[in-house]
Amino acid sequence: MASFQQPLQCVQYVKQQSPSSGEFLIASAGRHLYSYAATTGQFLDVWPKNVESNTESAPEDQAPPEKRRKLSSGADGLEENLKDTTAPKKSSGKQLPEWSNIPILTTSFDGKYVIALTAEDKCIRVFNLGENGKLEELSSREMPKRPSALVLTPDGQTILCGDKFGDAYSLPLIPGEYLPRTEKEKAYKPAATALTVHSRRNLESLEQQRIQAEKAAKNGGVKKPSSEEKTSLNFEHRLIIGHVSLLTDLIAVALPTEATPGRNYILTADRDEHIRVSRGIPQSHIIERYCLGHTSFITKLCSPSWAPEYLISGGGDNYLLLWNWGESQVLQKVSLEGLVQTPEPIVRGIWAVSLEQSAATVKAILVALEGSPELLSFTIEEDTLKLQDTIQCFGNVLDLTGIDSRGSIAVSVDTIREPGSTEAWKSTSGTPQKLLEYFQVSVEVESLKWKPVEDPLATSINSAGTSALPAELDDKQKKGFDDILYTLGVLRKRAYD
Amino acid sequence: MTTPPPPKRAKREEYRRNLQNQFEAHQNPDAEIADVKMPQKKFFRQRAHANPFSDHKLDYPLSPAHMDWSSHFPAFIDPDTSKTTLGGARKLLKDVEVVDIGCGFGGLLVGLAPLLPDTLMIGMEIRISVLDYVRSRVHALRIQQQKLKNGTAAQASAENSNNAEASVDEDEVGSTTTIVPGNYENISGIRANTMKFLPNFFAQHQLSKIFVCFPDPHFKARKHKARIVSESLNAEYAYVLRPGGLMYTITDVEEYHHWVLRHFEYQSEEERAQGGIKDLWERVSEEELAADPCVRVMSFETEESKKVSRNNGNKYVAVFRRKADPEWIA
Repeated sequence: MASFQQPLQCVQYVKQQSPSSGEFLIASAGRHLYSYAATTGQFLDVWPKNVESNTESAPEDQAPPEKRRKLSSGADGLEENLKDTTAPKKSSGKQLPEWSNIPILTTSFDGKYVIALTAEDKCIRVFNLGENGKLEELSSREMPKRPSALVLTPDGQTILCGDKFGDAYSLPLIPGEYLPRTEKEKAYKPAATALTVHSRRNLESLEQQRIQAEKAAKNGGVKKPSSEEKTSLNFEHRLIIGHVSLLTDLIAVALPTEATPGRNYILTADRDEHIRVSRGIPQSHIIERYCLGHTSFITKLCSPSWAPEYLISGGGDNYLLLWNWGESQVLQKVSLEGLVQTPEPIVRGIWAVSLEQSAATVKAILVALEGSPELLSFTIEEDTLKLQDTIQCFGNVLDLTGIDSRGSIAVSVDTIREPGSTEAWKSTSGTPQKLLEYFQVSVEVESLKWKPVEDPLATSINSAGTSALPAELDDKQKKGFDDILYTLGVLRKRAYD
Repeated sequence: MTTPPPPKRAKREEYRRNLQNQFEAHQNPDAEIADVKMPQKKFFRQRAHANPFSDHKLDYPLSPAHMDWSSHFPAFIDPDTSKTTLGGARKLLKDVEVVDIGCGFGGLLVGLAPLLPDTLMIGMEIRISVLDYVRSRVHALRIQQQKLKNGTAAQASAENSNNAEASVDEDEVGSTTTIVPGNYENISGIRANTMKFLPNFFAQHQLSKIFVCFPDPHFKARKHKARIVSESLNAEYAYVLRPGGLMYTITDVEEYHHWVLRHFEYQSEEERAQGGIKDLWERVSEEELAADPCVRVMSFETEESKKVSRNNGNKYVAVFRRKADPEWIA
């Protein structure tokens, strides 16, 4: 029995600007990043290279488990960090990377750079994508908290990163030289005084702190790093927006206006049902408005580049909202009930594609749900989302990308699990295992039709495969892999008093 | 097998039930009940800290346009029944304009009520028991005012002054014996986590004043993210506060005061050149503060400020004015 191949977690079509005009498909699977020729599906490069690429191990075995962090980065957090970097890895023989998967992947508008997030080490990595499709890592920047969204500003020069702590940072695409701020060492002084604490026990512990501090000072002073130092990052960055919630998605939108050359906005969504509209950098501290209309956590925002006045948002509340976001106005509420078979649907992805067809350019919105093989398609007509043909995929939809120049989309699918389930593994995947499906769009009587096509891009990637999962996996290891691909269910709230 | 609730809790529940019955009895205008008891704090105490990051079971409106304020300010309900909120509730004649974030037992609201009798003010508190107390307190004050206005005043106040020294429980604060402007119809309290849900309650530029009085200092460095003042939250305060509106802060912790200053004012020219949220705030001068009666109420009439006074603690006041939004940089 052939063992399962790592499914493609992210896929991204890239068309480089002239003179090269190269077309590539960049994909992540397991701990690797792959580059393929978009026309033939020919394998071009893999990153990282110095790793045995044909066997992947279960995430519990070698990769460090997902860190269960406390909410803040205090003294405990620091120690944890130190431990993580100094502790010898269990698998001392092999040189395994510190991450088990690459959950976010994006590219620059000119197609020259690939930006990827490696999961457990929270590193944003920027790659140069050569004309021959080779990936060259230019920089890696470790963020303080696990990023949940990475986008580029409309000028393509700055990365915006939203994280699970509710913060959004801006960092230059290409990091320059960074001079770390030198901060004077300050003696530790408790902020509380006998005048501000009142209970007997608190007064006692305050006294203990004072005695400890005195002792430490006598012994030459054991340095107690200040909180600023601990969180300081050794590269240029700026905290631009903060939510007191989990930040789930972030997009940067340029909205053309009548008189001015157009205004930049940053839209952020959180687990507490908010969509915040802020000005673009450097004025992102000014909140222009909120778009309030969801009744459960939000997972995805999408503003089509071909119609930036619209916003489509979705999450855990069984409907999509179409917004005129410049006025915080809900144009349409599209119920998912009846459209999909998933009982408690969570929107996994919303994509706006613009596909070149012989006759015209087809503009469509595609929506996938967590753990579902159905792919909904819509067009936007007169301020409404009009439902089109629903695409049935071979397995749960993981990601997709428009192959713009050929009027098609490439959809990465999970054929390890039963379609419609995030945890029921098949006994066998069939050979070759389908990783990618290819659909061609056509317009028939004012409506969109999607036709599955045996394109060399999909067939050659499917037959080449990625890296194999271990043949034997116990339930716990399987659960580990499930949790990598399907992360949205945990966002649902279990309210208590 | 279920264990019976501890006696303390049973006592609390009984007390609150009786209080509720008392209020209900007063709903009947013919009821001949002479005295209105103020609620006692000891039945409403709750641990001083709440985790703002956890998912409390909270009620909050979908948006400010959905918020039902009618039960909070019945005297201000628009008589036109055709006017309703997006949630279908009756509309008010005016919007809430003043917010006390972390209102505690409501001392500030009670102190401000007669000063700004035509302004609707709301206290927001995350601790449910404490908020229950505020609601009961406002309710009792309103009934007292009603009785005073109805002429039972003379009798009641005579009675009150007779046994005032003898029977007023030290814990049972705030009884009034005179008619005050606004009759406390302009204040109320609401349970909310403002760090998460402020924009659900208030629209852009709706507020004229925000108070943050003696906030939880969260002394430990790793708890600083839970502080009610931060650059991120200051952006939200600027969103709900109108240009020219005021942000009042007071604390007894010097380090926290500096924290507040640091998060509203630029600390260096270099920082100012970079720009940021501090562009939107300017500190209000000492002279202006001396003339502002709200500062006096904040400094001397809230429960915490009295506690600090008793303990001979320091009080650090800082008030910031929200400036107009700068021009767009495309």
